[in-house]
Amino acid sequence: MMDLTPLTDAIKTGNRKEAARITLEAVDAGLAPQVVLDALVLGMDDVGARFQRNEAFVPEMLIAARAMKEAMAILEPKLLAAGIRPEFTAVIGTVQGDLHDIGKNLVAMMWKGANFNVVDLGTNVPAERFVEAARESNADLIGLSALLTTTMPAMRDTVAAIRAAGLSKAKVLIGGAPITNEFAKEIGADGFAPDAASAVDLARQLMGV
Amino acid sequence: MTGQERVNRMFARRDQDSIPRMESFWDDTLRRWRTEGMALDPNGILGSDFQGLCWSEPCPYPGQAAVLLEDAETVTMRDGWGQVNRYWKDRQGTPEHISFPCNSREDWENTVKPLLLAHGPWVNPDASLKDLARGRRNGKWCHLTGLETFEMTRHLLGDELSMIAMIDEPEFFADVSRTMTDLVLRDFETLMSAGLRPDGVWIYGDMAYRSGLLCGPKLYRELVLPDHARMAKWAHDRGLPFIFHTDGDVTSVVEDYIGAGFDCLQPLEAKAGMDVRKLVPQYGDRLAFFGNCDVMIYATNDREAIEEEVRSKIEAGKASKGYVYHSDHSVPPSVGWDTYEFVIECVDRFGNYD
Repeated sequence: MMDLTPLTDAIKTGNRKEAARITLEAVDAGLAPQVVLDALVLGMDDVGARFQRNEAFVPEMLIAARAMKEAMAILEPKLLAAGIRPEFTAVIGTVQGDLHDIGKNLVAMMWKGANFNVVDLGTNVPAERFVEAARESNADLIGLSALLTTTMPAMRDTVAAIRAAGLSKAKVLIGGAPITNEFAKEIGADGFAPDAASAVDLARQLMGV
Repeated sequence: MTGQERVNRMFARRDQDSIPRMESFWDDTLRRWRTEGMALDPNGILGSDFQGLCWSEPCPYPGQAAVLLEDAETVTMRDGWGQVNRYWKDRQGTPEHISFPCNSREDWENTVKPLLLAHGPWVNPDASLKDLARGRRNGKWCHLTGLETFEMTRHLLGDELSMIAMIDEPEFFADVSRTMTDLVLRDFETLMSAGLRPDGVWIYGDMAYRSGLLCGPKLYRELVLPDHARMAKWAHDRGLPFIFHTDGDVTSVVEDYIGAGFDCLQPLEAKAGMDVRKLVPQYGDRLAFFGNCDVMIYATNDREAIEEEVRSKIEAGKASKGYVYHSDHSVPPSVGWDTYEFVIECVDRFGNYD
């Protein structure tokens, strides 16, 4: 069987050309798509772990996510043909009143890299839109982002709307510059992540994987 | 003691009558406070010791800002950088970034760099000389102000491309960085040639967030720090102290800042873990600190907590004689005017050196 360590390494180092080349080679060699996917996710997990240890930073995360994206463009049709879909769906957005999107984009990127199906609602998302999208996509996870202290109340309102809508399956994860674990507890969110890599760990933990 | 004397003595770690002071506010905050009885400019009431003389922001399309789209709440605009952003109409906040003028090295080399080199200066010597005269009349510490290169590179390339370029095409990133730094220094030279004699240089750029430097210390040292050091050297060569503004947690590079010749760090974002109570004992003899009083605590409007925050930070700062009062960011509209009046009272009470 083909050794996929170089594929994992290509993701770790953000070498998109190598990642695409090896993915194509693996697909052409008839390797099970799930095996190839696992090798890619392993690479992203390594970047996430190094990020949390302050050994990798946003640029390293960006080039790894770009390499993952290019490999996934090759692998995705094979996954679909094999009936393999991401196990979990996450809805993500910046809460109403907030236009900031860098943190939200990084989390979406890392969740995709961890093989979550991600529905990105963008910025300035009203509470009812989160509810609607979570319902439509049967979301397992809802990620709320806020940069400004002034939009923290909108985060509280969104969590309340999600709870009121009875979306009991969906876990709510929050993050952003002014957000703390205490605030997450206070507004009834299921968790708080201080950065994009931690958001992957927390999402997996909340999904029980 | 005038503000100018106070700040100069702060940089020299000599005795002062009280700590120097200044504050930043969101426009929404000032709007709220006017409805709550604030009569004057709050920096006037606080007694700010600082006066800016210019804002050097060398952009490729000066004077070409245009509204592209409008809805009930937001307006989408192209600014002088060629950046398309969506802003709130009725409140301040970080905009949504939609597009940037440089999408590749070719865009930079063929379009944006030639435009930048053909333009300028981006400062107005007459206006700066008037501001200096006003500052001198009022005894303020008068400073040149401009952007630093990491911030400007992100304006031109966006966060994603600029940080990818740091790894993929470091010589491209370095060229942008060097060019933008040259242009800011060229602006400052223009003002000096016109006879402006400031007291210092204050450079703005956001390098970090709550988890540390966006680009990490290694890439910072390789690609950005040399241009920061050039700016600090330019200031020192003219006998001017160098203040650096960045949000976020920059504890990993404080020694690099000192080595590069930074004299003062501002605003020391508390929610990112910056804390003068720890920084002053470690670096206070080599670096002055400016700010750090937590606006999140102000926003609780809890007077006991606010007093403790202001007292403990000011007391820690005063230990080195190298401390300036400022909040850790900009005061948000969730802080009431009566609460901020209490903050001023605390700064008055704890800020004296007697």
